[in-house]
Amino acid sequence: MKNKQTAKSTTLAALLESSWGWWLVILCVLGVAGYKLVSEESETLLRAQELNLWLPTGLFWKTMMQYPGGAASWLATYLTQYFYYPWLGVSILCGLWLIICCLLVWAYRLQGPWRALTLLVPLALMACFVQTGYWIYYQKLQGHLLVPTVGVLFAALCLAVQRLLSDALPTKTARWARLLWMALVCIFGYPFFGAWALGATGLLALLPGSGGESVLAILLIAAVPQICYQRFFEMTERSFLYVAAMPSFRNGQDVFTEYRLPYYAIILTFLILAVVSWISNVFAAEKSKLRPWLPPVIVLVLLFAGIFGVSKAWYHDVNFQKELSMNRAVQELDWERVLTIARDGSSTVKPTRQIVMYKNLALFRLGRAANEMFFYPEGAMQQNAPWRARMTQIGGKLIYYHYGKENFCYRWCMEDGVEFGWKVETLKFMARTSILNHEWTVARKYLDLLKKTTFHRAWAERYEKYLATPDAFDLHKLEASVKAGKPLLDEEGMKEFEPILHLMSYPDRLDGDNTLVEMYLLQTFARGNGDDPLFQEMTLLCSLIMKDIDLFWPRFMKFATLHPDLHMPLHYQEAAYLYGHLENKVDISHMPFDQNVRDTYDRFMKFNEQCGPMSEEQKAIAFYPQFGNTFYYFYFLVRNQKTN
Amino acid sequence: MNHLLSSIYHFLTSRQLLPSIKGGAWGWVFILIACTSPSVPTSFVEGDSLPTIYPDYIDVTVPQNIAPLHFHIDHDSLATDFVTRFTVGGEQWVVGGEDVRPGLKKWRKMIDAALAADGTISIEVFLKQANAWQRCKPFTITINKDSIDPYISYRLISPSYVTYEDLTINQRCLENFDESLIYGNMINSDEENGQCINCHHAQWYNPERIQFHVRQYLGGTVIAYDGKLSKINLKTDSTISAGVYPTWHPRQPWIVYSTNNTGQSFHTRDRQKIEVQDTKSNLIFYDLEANTVTPITRDTTNLDCFPFWSPDGKYVYYVSAHWERRDTIQLDFELIKNYKEVQYNLYRIPFDEASRSFGPRELIYDAVARNRSVTLPRVSPDGHWLMFTEAQFGVFHIWHNDADLFLMDLTQAQPVEPTPVISYSPDLLPAGFLPETANNVEREAAADSLRAAQGRLTPQPAHIRNITELNSPDVESWHCWSSNGAWVVFSSRRDDGNFTRPFIAHHDGNGHFSKPFELPQDNPQYHRQFMRSYNIPEFLSGPVTFRPQDFAAIIKKDATPAQLKTHPSPSL
Repeated sequence: MKNKQTAKSTTLAALLESSWGWWLVILCVLGVAGYKLVSEESETLLRAQELNLWLPTGLFWKTMMQYPGGAASWLATYLTQYFYYPWLGVSILCGLWLIICCLLVWAYRLQGPWRALTLLVPLALMACFVQTGYWIYYQKLQGHLLVPTVGVLFAALCLAVQRLLSDALPTKTARWARLLWMALVCIFGYPFFGAWALGATGLLALLPGSGGESVLAILLIAAVPQICYQRFFEMTERSFLYVAAMPSFRNGQDVFTEYRLPYYAIILTFLILAVVSWISNVFAAEKSKLRPWLPPVIVLVLLFAGIFGVSKAWYHDVNFQKELSMNRAVQELDWERVLTIARDGSSTVKPTRQIVMYKNLALFRLGRAANEMFFYPEGAMQQNAPWRARMTQIGGKLIYYHYGKENFCYRWCMEDGVEFGWKVETLKFMARTSILNHEWTVARKYLDLLKKTTFHRAWAERYEKYLATPDAFDLHKLEASVKAGKPLLDEEGMKEFEPILHLMSYPDRLDGDNTLVEMYLLQTFARGNGDDPLFQEMTLLCSLIMKDIDLFWPRFMKFATLHPDLHMPLHYQEAAYLYGHLENKVDISHMPFDQNVRDTYDRFMKFNEQCGPMSEEQKAIAFYPQFGNTFYYFYFLVRNQKTN
Repeated sequence: MNHLLSSIYHFLTSRQLLPSIKGGAWGWVFILIACTSPSVPTSFVEGDSLPTIYPDYIDVTVPQNIAPLHFHIDHDSLATDFVTRFTVGGEQWVVGGEDVRPGLKKWRKMIDAALAADGTISIEVFLKQANAWQRCKPFTITINKDSIDPYISYRLISPSYVTYEDLTINQRCLENFDESLIYGNMINSDEENGQCINCHHAQWYNPERIQFHVRQYLGGTVIAYDGKLSKINLKTDSTISAGVYPTWHPRQPWIVYSTNNTGQSFHTRDRQKIEVQDTKSNLIFYDLEANTVTPITRDTTNLDCFPFWSPDGKYVYYVSAHWERRDTIQLDFELIKNYKEVQYNLYRIPFDEASRSFGPRELIYDAVARNRSVTLPRVSPDGHWLMFTEAQFGVFHIWHNDADLFLMDLTQAQPVEPTPVISYSPDLLPAGFLPETANNVEREAAADSLRAAQGRLTPQPAHIRNITELNSPDVESWHCWSSNGAWVVFSSRRDDGNFTRPFIAHHDGNGHFSKPFELPQDNPQYHRQFMRSYNIPEFLSGPVTFRPQDFAAIIKKDATPAQLKTHPSPSL
């Protein structure tokens, strides 16, 4: 027994002292990190690549290189594309992190357990990555998710070259070579890698084995950005020079400094590596040895601290994930999936208006809104971001697109493109809205740009074929072609465009939405008037949601006239029955209400009497189990749904 | 990886570091194996149509000092190879590939040869399809001996709505492809403090005397005058706003500005998308040396805009709309509600240089009587011609699809009496006259044809004409004469209806223009990829020598407030 234990501890000790054992640790941690990213952040990754654009054109490169650090952004946007397949993008990311570890192990001459300490750098990078949340929509640095990785990779490469020079050249020559290399890194690296090159310069000075480079490094770091400002970068604000190619966690007047912590952690990890490397060298020089258990313990403690830091930084929010999933389901016109996500009751957190709007859109597209609209959780939770997120900048464009407000969709794409940079998503919307607006040439412009991307070419080619059938986007001609049995659009096109064309049945006017997507849609549709059955029903639905009795009745009557054979949907009946009793302006005595509509109303009123002096909040809770899925409940007890 | 290589390749070719060869990364392979010059096919069939090229340089006339006219051959997927032959007299130059980029040296040789011969370059495009070559119908580019000013300045801006981020005022050498920054707002902007820049304008093409405005953060009007930079706050208690649309006196350090309260609203369906309107606008006179502002017009029922000083300095031309309040609602809502009824006439006011005073205004073109609206009067350097933009209504015609360029012969122009205003509305069209899907432009055109048939429209004066040779079905606006009057540059959205591009055309001195050509770019497809509009293209006799950093430094300083000075001349 004792022998066995001794054997075990010997094996463990051997493992801890051996290099390959710690390489295994590095591989395992990176593997787990990759697995966690794919399993938990796939939706975020997919969205990230939609909110990214990389083009293989000189113009794109030139645009990026207007600012210091443009190459880091350029490379990061290039790599972000690969999240189109989350597993592929994450594999590349983990591969890069592994390369960083290898380079750092070599550059810092780390031995045994210390090698695993390089994992702190990928962990800090992972924290930068997973803390993003709603910044995914608001970050102006192109390729922001991967810029830290690219920047650190650049720094690690610079360190490795420095090490190579030290190792390969005679001492005296090596010193001059190192000085020269440092100058090159800063002077030529800064325009391409911005602050990351400045950081690399600093790290070169701190690399053990260096000597006397600190003064040069300080001079370079201070001078090179200023010289570049004077000579090259005519578009860069002076205070931005030293943080070029770093994400700014600023929204309007507010700065959210807590998001900088992972970036400070990157600096800290490099300092730790430098210190460890220095200590190791000292001990090696003195031919003394640390207590054998100490390095693994220190490494494990630091690694656990790093992992804890990542878990603390990780942004978890049910509504954020739901919004992402629903957005993708809407993009794919998978309306049932939208509803499945909306129904998901795994969390008690109330939904955001964005989620409610996706749900309403899906129900409308399935023709079930008037029967099921109130069967889903209502809510108006603010997006879990430390600033006020606007629907126009999140999913508003998608909503406008499907509600036939093409100019407003286009407008917000343009506004976003101007403020946050062009993205695959905005180009896709701009192409489709232009097609629906019969602006064929500019639609082609956007499609041609999308055709240059790595993963969206097929999408662009699919929509490009619609340019050949302009008549398909004239509703009358489209309907005639369907009647004649020769639809001008293919099945996918019919599914996507036909309902939108119906909803575009309104005249032009000058208007503005004041960034309030939901309110604008409700008001314009509720006040709209048209004979198109789909459009008309939208006017009725919106008057229903607005609880506007005067707008409701004429639209209700018209709906009944336009659909003489249709059994009146549940929520319309409930509204008519309720309004008839509330105001007595319209005689509802001859209307054939369903018995359950009458019964529910009676029960609702009776329960109301029973509840007596309860406050509205108390009633909302008490009524919900029985009446939460009725218009009566919505009318009386769902209030102040503040939209954004 | 393919795209990565392709991007590097495009980058290198766009800077002519490598020859342009079809196909992303495959270009590298071609470079290695096809280092031979392209040659014209020995056997081919004659095509019966002209090649489709972008930009459209077919049969255009260009100045002798223009940059090379690089173009792209648009083709279907069947075409696999391309050869283009340029011929002048007995000399030939052959260029391969779908991007036809002869480069600066070859182009100069072609121009020199053309000027020595009949002034034309003949161009033949050969397409290879299914292993057989076809020659498209040849076309020519005519080289005109009239030079063009070597530079233009413009603002680059996304055709945006409310948001702005990086805005730049650039200058481009027309003799090559060099473009540089005059000033970019990001040098003085951050996340919290945004800055809009606009309305650059030079005194008589002089790059040493320019001005532009900075709005919001660190706002003011920046004026460069003979090596001295200043930043002025032109807003006074008695003026609507700071200076907006400027016009320099041709010689003196005086600038007339419009002052405007401007707003914009959004079309819900129409492809014009935005309507920009003034709710108030007047004119002011600014004396740079005295740093004084003097109101010129003050009538609150008139919206005065887009002043332009005649080259002799004797008149200021401008446009003005008359609007009297009808409703009790807020003025901007009233104007939005009636936006189609706001129409501008062309006026001028005489200016006496000695007393620095303005006389009473004269109506030069009663566009409202024709149910039209004019903007942007620009007089040719010889004072003979006045070019303006005309559309159905409104003042910001860059967003009006029906905006066209018109030319007035000023030698025939006389002040006219205004015709009593008749209220027009396309909404009065008989039911069924137009399909419901008709857009604004179609509705207005139909309404006009109906009115004309009813004799309710004043005919177009004989000394004014639509410059049909310059106009397209889309927007034409923001024009500028070259200093010798032989060329005009103007903005057009004819390419795609959304992004404004500069076009240049030759003026024969008699009021006629050649076919316009798009501003040449090294990468011929540049404008197809470029997501910004060119705003206010203006000729310059040379480059602005102040650097963006110099402008940034002065902009950081506080603006010097201009002093209000009242003037004895009658208030207009």
